[in-house]
Amino acid sequence: MSTLRRRSSPAKALLTPQEQTAQRRARRIGTLIASPGALYLLIFFMVPLGLITVYSFATRTSTGRTSLSGWNLNSYERLADDVILGIVGRSAWLAFITTVLCLAVAYPFAYYLATRSPRVRARLLVLVMIPFWTNGLVRIFAIRFLLGSNGPASALSEALGFGTFRILFTPTAVVLGMVYGFLTFMVLPLYVALERMDWRLVEAARDLYASGGKAFWRVTVPLTRSGIVAGCVLVFVPSFGSYVVPEILGGAKTLLIGSYVARQFQAARNWPLGASLSVLVIVAMLIAVTINQRNSENAERTRAGAP
Amino acid sequence: MNTPADETPASTGAPAVELRCISKRFGDVVAVDSVNLEIADGEFFALLGPSGCGKTTTLRMIAGLDIPSEGSLLIHGDEVASSPPDRRPVNTVFQAYALFPHMTVAQNIAFGLNMRGIRGSEADRQVAEATTLVQLEGMEHRRPSQLSGGQQQRVALARALVNHPKVLLLDEPLGALDLKLRQEMQVELKVLQREVGITFVFVTHDQEEALAMSDRVGVMSQGRLLQVGTPAEVYEHPASRFVADFIGRTNLLEGVVESSSTVRLHAGAVVAAQSNLAAGTPAALSVRPEQVRLHRLGEAPAGAPCLDGVILDVTYLGHAFVYTVSISAASGTSNDATTVTARVETGEAAQAAGEPVSVSWAPATTTVVAD
Repeated sequence: MSTLRRRSSPAKALLTPQEQTAQRRARRIGTLIASPGALYLLIFFMVPLGLITVYSFATRTSTGRTSLSGWNLNSYERLADDVILGIVGRSAWLAFITTVLCLAVAYPFAYYLATRSPRVRARLLVLVMIPFWTNGLVRIFAIRFLLGSNGPASALSEALGFGTFRILFTPTAVVLGMVYGFLTFMVLPLYVALERMDWRLVEAARDLYASGGKAFWRVTVPLTRSGIVAGCVLVFVPSFGSYVVPEILGGAKTLLIGSYVARQFQAARNWPLGASLSVLVIVAMLIAVTINQRNSENAERTRAGAP
Repeated sequence: MNTPADETPASTGAPAVELRCISKRFGDVVAVDSVNLEIADGEFFALLGPSGCGKTTTLRMIAGLDIPSEGSLLIHGDEVASSPPDRRPVNTVFQAYALFPHMTVAQNIAFGLNMRGIRGSEADRQVAEATTLVQLEGMEHRRPSQLSGGQQQRVALARALVNHPKVLLLDEPLGALDLKLRQEMQVELKVLQREVGITFVFVTHDQEEALAMSDRVGVMSQGRLLQVGTPAEVYEHPASRFVADFIGRTNLLEGVVESSSTVRLHAGAVVAAQSNLAAGTPAALSVRPEQVRLHRLGEAPAGAPCLDGVILDVTYLGHAFVYTVSISAASGTSNDATTVTARVETGEAAQAAGEPVSVSWAPATTTVVAD
């Protein structure tokens, strides 16, 4: 053990026994405080994840049971099916639109927020958070009522002479619902990035003949890139696998990954297919999160000064 | 060369910068209070004052980063008080440099050129020229975070100078550097200014820096411009108690003006000192420590103003001694805590603390200042 440690940190050899004891103690305390969280994640996250991965290689028997004998890639091969590719494509497209709309709505708002006085900022932030304190399901049902053909939105449109409209149970309704549901995930990282922004750099750009718009695109946007990427990942990932919103607002025509996976575990009783599709989604998200991680590391480096 | 200066016909002897009754209020706070100032073309002008005196706000108004509440501001005769910063032929070297961290040195320097539509080989040529001017060759592809403080300072200079502004504004540009580098940069900036011939307006709270570098100094306090003059004028003939106290070290001997040529000091003596203040005005006599002469008690030359006292403290500075002399209270004086500091070259005979002495000075080297 001790030789292994020494190899991991060559500086260790320079420490006196006294320092080594102190360091060991600090490490032991660190392990102690991290262990409840680690245990929780192990039981409720890593174990189910492992089970899903195992099931994705299993076989569905003719009666709909899952047989754990005879490992195979059958369910992964089925993912290449046109129906499933269509569902994945549609999910990705709607998640993309949702992300773009969230960014377009959230950036100006976060900008406004970050440039207010601290007191106003705190109040507006509470307003952003309030919807989080109410039940998400209730909020989505409220949108369903709002967008319904007998709802207020339709009534308003009719009163203005645009006629009634049918949005509910279309992809548009799903996107509207997801934009609403995930907007906060975009606002907060953007707010953090804009709040950390050094506005003297914008002044410097203005001083160097940049108009307000040019200073924004050449200085503010690049310097808040980490917030933009973080927000996009935080919105895209849950939109891609979203289940509740498409179920309530999407209707039968807008089948997305989340609903399809749920169906495999319930009505269709094809656990291996549901599991393999889940694994696919998880891998896709891991890739997105890795990109985000690398991006924020780069941003840190630019700030801190290493090449 | 493509410069903003080419866009307008040559100015007809108008000052580079002219402030007419400029004021700036932030809410109830008056940051700058009806300042009038003319800065000549090609001049190295320092705005000097303690922090919060309004000097930086004044500079920001010239840059266009703050819009004056009142008054008019002319750059080479053109009214610019309410134009945005990108429409003014001035550039700024910011206090913490404000270099763009996501751009390389070359991209930073090229920013202003690009914004004015100068790109490609012409921009490259001008960037190379500016890089050479500030001796940053070989650093073009580094990021600001990879440079030392002194190098960042040079990038900030090059980024501004590459645009050939009519006026270069510098906001405490040397404040972040350590003493030795600061002194080197003082000389370098002065040489650079002469080389490029651009009007420099330099904001600093460091009076030595202001005296060492500038052609003229403007001293500010509490939003007001108290005195404008050459470093020698401001140092030798301060217009007010604040200026006398702020610029260099001085002895302020409290008293009352007795006539146009005499002041009665609270310390007891009536001394010769020219002033145009009315008799009876409370005032102080400013005597610079290096003008004070030290003598054995009672041996002061006849005719020169002189006070008697005891040496309280001696400080050795290498090239000089600084003596703090406690002035003996004459009968009937209100202020018996007066001390005078004298700065004497090391070559002269040293004296020890506790010795009784007389101090004297030549009347022409003093100034009477009122509040």
